[in-house]
Amino acid sequence: MAEKKVDVLIIGSGHTGGMAAKILTEKGISCTMLDAGPMLNFERDRTLKPASQLPFRGLDAPGRHPHIFQATEFSANQWVDEKVIPYNYPAGQQYNWVRIRSVGGRSPFWGRQSFRLSDYEFKCKDHDGFGENWPISYKDLESYYSRVEGIFRVQGHTDGLPQYPDGNFIEDNAPWSNAMQRFVDAGKKMGVPVTKPRSALGTGGLAASINLLIPDAVATGKLTTIPNSIVRKITVDKHTGLADGVIFIDRHSYREMTIKARVVIVAAGTLETTRLLMISEIANSSGVLGHYLCDQIYGAGIAASVPEARGGKGKRGVIGGGALIPRFRNLETKTPGYLRGYAVNVSSSSGPMDARWFMEYGSALEKKLDEYYGSGFTTNIMGETLGHYENHVSLNKQVVDAWGMPTLTISTKYGDNEINMAKDMVDTTAAMAEAAGFEVLVRNYEFNPPGYSIHEQGTARMGDNPKTSVVNKWNQSHDIKNLFITDASVFVSAGWQNPTITMCALAMRASEYLAEEMRKGNI
Amino acid sequence: MKRRDFVKGLAAATATGAALGQQKPSQATTPVPATGTVDQGTMAVSPNAASSTPAQARMQQMAAFRSPNIPVTPPDVVASTDAHYFTAVRYATLVHLCEILMPGGDGYPTALQADTPQFLDFHVGGSPADRQTMYNDGLDRLNADAMKKFNIPFAKTDAKQADAIIRPFLKAWINDHPPREKHERFIALAHRDIRTVTMNSPAWATAAEASGERTPGVGLYWASVDPGGQKWVSHGAPKASAPLTKQAHS
Repeated sequence: MAEKKVDVLIIGSGHTGGMAAKILTEKGISCTMLDAGPMLNFERDRTLKPASQLPFRGLDAPGRHPHIFQATEFSANQWVDEKVIPYNYPAGQQYNWVRIRSVGGRSPFWGRQSFRLSDYEFKCKDHDGFGENWPISYKDLESYYSRVEGIFRVQGHTDGLPQYPDGNFIEDNAPWSNAMQRFVDAGKKMGVPVTKPRSALGTGGLAASINLLIPDAVATGKLTTIPNSIVRKITVDKHTGLADGVIFIDRHSYREMTIKARVVIVAAGTLETTRLLMISEIANSSGVLGHYLCDQIYGAGIAASVPEARGGKGKRGVIGGGALIPRFRNLETKTPGYLRGYAVNVSSSSGPMDARWFMEYGSALEKKLDEYYGSGFTTNIMGETLGHYENHVSLNKQVVDAWGMPTLTISTKYGDNEINMAKDMVDTTAAMAEAAGFEVLVRNYEFNPPGYSIHEQGTARMGDNPKTSVVNKWNQSHDIKNLFITDASVFVSAGWQNPTITMCALAMRASEYLAEEMRKGNI
Repeated sequence: MKRRDFVKGLAAATATGAALGQQKPSQATTPVPATGTVDQGTMAVSPNAASSTPAQARMQQMAAFRSPNIPVTPPDVVASTDAHYFTAVRYATLVHLCEILMPGGDGYPTALQADTPQFLDFHVGGSPADRQTMYNDGLDRLNADAMKKFNIPFAKTDAKQADAIIRPFLKAWINDHPPREKHERFIALAHRDIRTVTMNSPAWATAAEASGERTPGVGLYWASVDPGGQKWVSHGAPKASAPLTKQAHS
């Protein structure tokens, strides 16, 4: 039988797998990309439907996705079912692991908020003493951010804030609505910056690997994409110690197959990547694989009403639009009670109000909804959580998934740092809303369980020291030089920022490094 | 009124404009195969047969067939669901709670007209134990409070009496955070469920259509992306001792 060997094997086709495929193939390197899920077919898989035609009237099948708060009956089929790929957590430490398995990974479904990290994140230990610095600085990534923003068509406003680095934006110079301007002004008086949101516009209604990255790789003629391929092990040549391919299972037939490769890139999504490395028993000479899991807290915030917009009077210019409050705590001064900081998503709407915001029912509730119609205003936290060593994942060989692979036990919890941060956020934004003349209807200090933000980061962190990190500053395994990890598992700290743009910038940088090393014959 | 098309994901639409183009081709309209034409099973294991002219012609005919346009109707329009899960007392309490919380108006149906109690009996009956407990305890608490305050079951309370029982436990909430106190939580979640089930009912959709409003509650529905995978998950991988062959299944 002929010996088959691919140049670069990429495991995962989400944002970072897609970026690796794009960069490498454009440099003339052949890539084979595996994804555990099927190819999406938007024409076949999606349709506009009214909720009255769904089997469960919008409530979805009882107990179907107990840990996916984002799931609705409309979207229920897009998420991984935890009965198919189980995971568990210690009692009292709920973790919401939200996964998608299809070509493109989670990239067709992300929220598109696009923020650069700053040196407040990259050099976080220097700033406040907690955790570790990243082995790179903002300068190392700056030019890659610009290129990624160009690909994703990021819209934003240039603000000149050091904690919120500006980028290669489609400039957003739209004026604030009156209500939002009052909120901005209230923030100024309190020393809280309120800026325009920054968001990837993408193209054709999508900002995913499947429309922005993978097509470029396909156009080179050097990409082979294989869906329904569940990698169960990365194999290592016992003579060289290098990765030499993978064993995977065809999702439908259960046929086990082998691919030999010169280089392996793991881009399966933070916890799936770490799970695969653990199952393969590689890349963990440091002993830190699986540790320092972190993300962001979501869920705390306020709901308010803008008086002059009530009763449908919120015409254009009166209310509407969103804003972002970038981190402003613990920069030049120290805030008691917690380290790091939070950002806030701010939104206003001239549409219907949420019935849950009123302590009424029946006809009195309907009257309230009419009276307040079009005056909604909300704030929601995005707060950095701390990556403690104890926040970790481990393999559970007693429970296997539908393909016989050991599952994960996820052991993580939030503490006083997050509680105090959420309290500060709610009190601060409520005070700003009241100063702007809004009526605060609800204050919610409670935040969602770990994992909810779908921003899991860490567990295979980067660093210069092979004894305390899994990959080096080029996303290259310290232990296996032809093994690269491009997803957010390499993050050293979470920051308050949505991770996607940083993941893509790191994947771009790592791929260019890899291509150059391959050209030199070093890999 | 126009504002009735509110609350994201909570409203419904026309009952009859349903899911066209999703039906399988009608058997009656597919050509009857001529005697001697190989069937699909034979074609799958016999490439020579599959490449025969009659077989190719038939396959091309089938591939060109387009779904017939047969209007379909949600079952709720003509059928009802019997309550099986809740005890008689709890169900009577739920029915009255639905009446109180969602009384209808402006041409829109009440929760009872939308068959909300029956639907919730079905849905809660199939739910995990913690949700069942929340409903059972919450309904029991409503009844107990009615007995204590007015010496009558909750199901028999008038609007003023019911308000005296419910109002102390009404709390506003946002995001995924209903109140933590047990009975406040029940009131909040039952209220949400009753509104959702009522406003997503075919009866509500019909009312919206009759009032000339745009179709409410429309969302982008994802069908099962890869149903074949689910089959394997349900049945497990083939074992060496039980080869999975056509014969083994026939």
